[in-house]
Amino acid sequence: MNIQFKKGILELCVLSILDVRDCYGYELVNEISKNIAISEGTIYPLLRRLKEDGLFTTYLQESQEGPPRKYYKLTEEGKSMKRELLDEWNSFVEGVNHILKGDEIDE
Amino acid sequence: MNREEFLKKLSEGLNKLPDKEKKDIIYDYEEHFDIALQEGKNQEEVSVSLGDPNVIAREFSVSYIINRAEENRSTGNIFRAVFATVSLGFFNLIFVLGPFIGLIGVLIGLFAASAALTISGVLLLVAILLYPILPWFVSVPHIMISQPIGGVFLSIGIFSLGLLFLIGVSYLAIGTYKITIKYLKFNIRIITDRRVKNEH
Repeated sequence: MNIQFKKGILELCVLSILDVRDCYGYELVNEISKNIAISEGTIYPLLRRLKEDGLFTTYLQESQEGPPRKYYKLTEEGKSMKRELLDEWNSFVEGVNHILKGDEIDE
Repeated sequence: MNREEFLKKLSEGLNKLPDKEKKDIIYDYEEHFDIALQEGKNQEEVSVSLGDPNVIAREFSVSYIINRAEENRSTGNIFRAVFATVSLGFFNLIFVLGPFIGLIGVLIGLFAASAALTISGVLLLVAILLYPILPWFVSVPHIMISQPIGGVFLSIGIFSLGLLFLIGVSYLAIGTYKITIKYLKFNIRIITDRRVKNEH
């Protein structure tokens, strides 16, 4: 399909999780690696890049167990990026499903 | 690898970054280790699932070098950014370095042509002024000598045209710079995802 979409997958995952609630890094990484097999360490460079692009901001918050944790919070820009990537994803999945069901294949 | 070894390797790999950013990055991984350990995982386990600290460090470094080239435009910075991206893998050698060298070649060619045009304008003027004094020294078409005023205007025209081209080429160079940065950013994202896919 298109390359734009490929590079968006991980970004979409991160943005979707943060759209539900603010998370700290470990939580976010855990949430993703629970479902997708990746090197957990490579999510942090992605987080940093998206932060530099202005898709989210960070803030520190005290925790009961030990030192304060760094939380990530989506910005408006991040939210609209999430919607955009989600639309791309949905239309891609729809297209693939059409093909898999054999609806539109000429015999 | 335990927590300390992992963080040490990561820290060594981030040497090119300013201290503040380096600390910021290390902080994230320290936090990650601490929370994971609290949850009862052991250090080995955590560092294995994080992956190779050298690879992680390289990814941060490349991002940093590209950002620096974007903020401070200089020939050195853009070359460093291109080579850093190339160091990420063989794929980039072909899809980054190849087009980049091609573009640089085109820019050098255009620059040389504009410079030559500018200089030839100046030389024509010199030739016309010199002809009455040193006729044997100057070889220009006869029409320019017989019409010196026209010749002077022609030389001014050529000179100005050359300057205009030079200005055009510098804008082109700035545009190329920006596009290169965009392309590099786009590229490191694809490469990241490629690796992610391979680990499935």
